[in-house]
Amino acid sequence: MIGFELNEEQLRYQKWARAFAEEEMKPYAAELDRRQDTAFDWGIVRRFAKANLLGLGVPQEYGGLGVDHLTLAVVTEELGAACMGMIEPAGGTWLATCCLTLVGNEDQKRRYLPLVCGENATLAGLAVTEPEAGSDMAAIRTRATKKGDCYILNGTKAFITNAGLAGFYIVFATTDPRKRDSGLNAFIVDGDAKGLTLGKVEEMMGLRASQVGELIFDNVEIPVENLLGVENTGYLIAMQTLDMSRPCMVAGTIGAARAAFETALAYARERKQYGRPILHHQAIAFMLADMATEIEAARLLTWKACWLIDEGMDSTLASSMSKVFATEMAERVCSRAIQILGGQGYTRNSPVEKYYRDVKACQIYEGTNQIQRMIISSML
Amino acid sequence: MIYKDIGKKIQRAREELGLSQEELASRLGYTQAALSNYELGKRRLYLANIEQIARELNKPLSYFLEDSPVRSPAEEREPQDETIAEIIRLLSELPVEERNYLLEYIRWRRERQR
Repeated sequence: MIGFELNEEQLRYQKWARAFAEEEMKPYAAELDRRQDTAFDWGIVRRFAKANLLGLGVPQEYGGLGVDHLTLAVVTEELGAACMGMIEPAGGTWLATCCLTLVGNEDQKRRYLPLVCGENATLAGLAVTEPEAGSDMAAIRTRATKKGDCYILNGTKAFITNAGLAGFYIVFATTDPRKRDSGLNAFIVDGDAKGLTLGKVEEMMGLRASQVGELIFDNVEIPVENLLGVENTGYLIAMQTLDMSRPCMVAGTIGAARAAFETALAYARERKQYGRPILHHQAIAFMLADMATEIEAARLLTWKACWLIDEGMDSTLASSMSKVFATEMAERVCSRAIQILGGQGYTRNSPVEKYYRDVKACQIYEGTNQIQRMIISSML
Repeated sequence: MIYKDIGKKIQRAREELGLSQEELASRLGYTQAALSNYELGKRRLYLANIEQIARELNKPLSYFLEDSPVRSPAEEREPQDETIAEIIRLLSELPVEERNYLLEYIRWRRERQR
């Protein structure tokens, strides 16, 4: 940088993702959102797998598309414009593969990364959060006890995307809770491991096309070769994974905000009051101007975070800033879109109320915005 | 945040060994600019980098990853207790074998106190 133009490959990915989102996601978004109980749908996952979208960030040598983080963000924005909920199964998978690519040894990468690539791909998941350990990662209680050639895992993970669905999970557990951060470890756990069961599946306000729930570990045996990195380096692994995957998740939120903006703009052009389109009333026009401005600002901040990651630089500050700004921007933009559509916007006849419900989650997951502000303020 | 803390510890451990950035960088196969960026916390440090640096600087991995503040050289030189300061001063004048012998003795005394 400086230069804000996407390169040819990124433009090609953008066009491809936009077509995928229009054809394979958007037509099903409203239906899945309204489905009762869990609306997760393997049919959507199969479409993602066919396009190798689950392996988007996985290096090509392991069967993925191997795109850089900026391209990931560009693609995710397009998918987010169609349905945030449908991205989540892929997003949960990307978190796990980002972690595995970052710290996995060659054997671990060869065994697990190809599982999420190609037509027959399965999902993956990253399991950090617990009922009593959300923002405070050092409070993790899931216990890993070494026994011969194995670690024995016991505990419960909560709010895990793809819980009960994934072929494998990256699970964070402590070898000694008294050591707090310094006792954390990351393990690869097979989805069908003995003693691993699915607990409660959450009924959520938005992101209805995804499955989020509890994972219960009851004496689950993990071979030592499934420990990621070195013993007791889990905190660094978790921090790096979340820092690096954050801007990509944020990009999906920007996509949803853009979709809300586009819906509002189209409506404002058509809807007439006092004899002219409401777009020509300054009260509405200025709202749309603010929406467009904030979307652009969020996108540039997010792209900067991605650029830092791709350059091998520390992206912590930009990642956290993009998360805070973009996710709060998205709520404001969706709220204004509902306002512009008026009564229509508040009904299920228009998609904007769904965008609003979906984007709210983004201020909470992947490190709450309050935690992001702690990170930002500590680096000032 | 995390990289800055680790970077400071790398700098400290390097200086303890009396190595310049150029010397350590060349041993690690990095450019001096890259090592400088690591020490400043500007570049992302992968676990593999930290392991390599730890080996080169004769420190356990935990030295770089565990949450202990890096003290300035001035703080290091001023222990709070005069007796401890005296012990450190006298110990540093003894040969390594003597120091190890005394360390064992201190451990034995501490066990007896429990």
